[in-house]
Amino acid sequence: MGLAEDLRDKFKNDLSPELLRSRLLWRTARRLARSRWNKPDWRADIVSLSFFLDRTERAFTGKGTVVWANLLFPPELIHAVGACAFYPEMASAVVASLGLAPRFLDEAAAAGFTRDTCSFHRTALGAAAGGFYPAPEMLFSASYPCDSASHTLNYLAEKLGAEYVGLDVPAHPDPVTLDILAGQFEEAALRLGARMGKRESQVLEGLREALVRSNQARSLLLDIGALRRERPCPLSGRELPGQLSMISAAFGTEDGVRFFQMLRDQIVERRGAPSAAAQEERTRLLWMHLRPYYPNGLADWLEERGARVVCDEFALCTWEELDPDDPYLSLARKVAGHFLVGPADRRARAMAALARDYQVDGAVHFNHWGCRQSCAGAPLVRSHLQNEGVPTLILEGDCVDEREYQEGQMRTRLEGFLESL
Amino acid sequence: MALKSSENDKRVGWFCAYTPVELIEAAGLRPVRLFGDGADSDEANALLHPATCPYLRACLAAAQRESGPHMLVFANSCDGMRRLHDAWKHFLKPDFCFLLDLPRRVDWAGVGLYHRDLLRLREDLESLTGRAITPGALRRAVSDWEATRRELRDSADGLEGVERVRRAVALQEEGLAWKPGDARGAAPQSGRQGRTSGVPVVVTGNIVRADGLLSLMEEAGCRLVAADICSGDRFFQDLGLNEAELEGLGVDGMLRRLAERYLARIPCPRMVDSRRRHEHLLETVRRTGARGVIYVSIKFCDAFIYDFPRLRAALDAASIPVLMLESDYSDQHEGQLLTRIEAFLEIIGDSMAAGRGQV
Repeated sequence: MGLAEDLRDKFKNDLSPELLRSRLLWRTARRLARSRWNKPDWRADIVSLSFFLDRTERAFTGKGTVVWANLLFPPELIHAVGACAFYPEMASAVVASLGLAPRFLDEAAAAGFTRDTCSFHRTALGAAAGGFYPAPEMLFSASYPCDSASHTLNYLAEKLGAEYVGLDVPAHPDPVTLDILAGQFEEAALRLGARMGKRESQVLEGLREALVRSNQARSLLLDIGALRRERPCPLSGRELPGQLSMISAAFGTEDGVRFFQMLRDQIVERRGAPSAAAQEERTRLLWMHLRPYYPNGLADWLEERGARVVCDEFALCTWEELDPDDPYLSLARKVAGHFLVGPADRRARAMAALARDYQVDGAVHFNHWGCRQSCAGAPLVRSHLQNEGVPTLILEGDCVDEREYQEGQMRTRLEGFLESL
Repeated sequence: MALKSSENDKRVGWFCAYTPVELIEAAGLRPVRLFGDGADSDEANALLHPATCPYLRACLAAAQRESGPHMLVFANSCDGMRRLHDAWKHFLKPDFCFLLDLPRRVDWAGVGLYHRDLLRLREDLESLTGRAITPGALRRAVSDWEATRRELRDSADGLEGVERVRRAVALQEEGLAWKPGDARGAAPQSGRQGRTSGVPVVVTGNIVRADGLLSLMEEAGCRLVAADICSGDRFFQDLGLNEAELEGLGVDGMLRRLAERYLARIPCPRMVDSRRRHEHLLETVRRTGARGVIYVSIKFCDAFIYDFPRLRAALDAASIPVLMLESDYSDQHEGQLLTRIEAFLEIIGDSMAAGRGQV
């Protein structure tokens, strides 16, 4: 039994805001993390678990200034000042994996949020309003990848009495607009620094160090990307969750560097000798958007049929090396250069390039219900991929709300798709 | 599927109230707001996910059926609108397709970004027409649009509800060709008539069709004393710019002023500062003596979905009853909507005295 299952069984029914703030819970979680039962397939997952446990414990037990941010907000800026970064969207994924999402989704519905919006954000709204997320001092959102994140964080800032800073990322990056975005990052960093009693020079020094570490992790992530291109792919999509969250949250930290170092090294060790559980790689798939986070058998089912997800939309390095001497402009380039910013043909071109690089046989676009930016762009992305000769399946579902999961239907669609390949 | 180009067609389609019609006008083109046909949007489902704003899908479906307009300016106001731009550009291949970035902030950063994109729009319009936009042309366009908005307001003075919104919609569809006596703007387009008696109510929301849901509200017994919707009263707001203020400025300077003024308008819920909008709504309710608020959110509009709980709290605190209606833009299910509106009107007959909030 894995750690997630242990935690789910122990705390699912008794979870309360008070329990989350109790030292007993965190002691127990740390003990489980260190126990002999916690033997993840990838050693790096021990680092990611420790990273998140440490941050979350600090956030819940009042040992740090808590800052909430959305997925495209650069974590380097938060780590630079030593604040405790908390990502409500990622927390929703954890909540879903523990089987707790329906409870918070119902609370969000009772507060007036209809089910037509994204369940990552509705879960965050329900959990935060009930005191299940650590109280923030500041909330940052970049205006991409989606509107929902900005609306959610803006709403919660008011509800929780914290400061919200929304950053406008230009859809058309050029020297002028990047400079304006850099100015917004500078303003945000100095405001956060001031809250934490840091002088500007200390903020800049912190940023310098964070950007150096970020570049180290970036280089390792590029190595991992190159390794995943090999046949058979030594790291399947099923084994990725830790990597996805570390890309969003840990860049700029020592743990981030350690995680990607260990992951890269272990992939090198395993090259040409995929794990016993992995079946022969018959079909290489590109997966777009995310996958269901609640317990489900989809990933195993795909692997059993020899279908390996060899590349993922969110497990990529999309930015150039950062300049530690010009941190704000570097971060502006990093964020504004992401393919999820601006028109969808940027994303479509990036996906087509990915499909070519990784020599995939087909692509799956997971249409997470309520994700406007992704679902509404799916036909265009599919059109681009199909023009490149990559058959693409659009699969409707929900990443967080397990009540919407119909594995039978999903399998039928995937089965038909795999046969057609 | 592609639209057919026509050299004589100077119409430039636009969708969002933050679109600077003045700049399009100054390029010698004719800005027209597109509304689509709410009852007929299924055709767009293959190009834009069905869980996307039905207004946007209605506009796309109309373009799939009709010829033109061949030039479009999309404001990057939400995920759905951006994807409408993407789908339109990719699948319908119009002659001109511009995505105007629209920030959420209204401070130095927001004004700077919006100004930058207005300059980009200017360059693209000049390339399209082969003519430079002169300071004189832009000044005249600003002045003409300001005058027309004022004229619209004057002509609609004393009008309420459906009749008032029809005027605003006519101006958005006709542009500067609109005249106060314009039959299209003034005459009811269906058998339903506006009413000036009934329970005073403020309607707030995004795009609400005059001859659909608004008419239904009047039929139910509402007297719509204000229509705080982006196709209605929000379009009556002028920018507060006059020719003297623009005198001596080049195109760049004037576009900076436009950026500042557009962002200074009463904000749409997509903007960071939604509190100002809530205050404006509360003030409107007090000024008009309305007995309640009907909040109409078009389905799948994230900005309004996330705004409602906050606005409801503000209205509850002021003991103003509110009814939330969700519109699919086709305004089908009339019977169900009518029943809900009638029930709301019955309740607010005495709810103010009882101090009840949401219904």
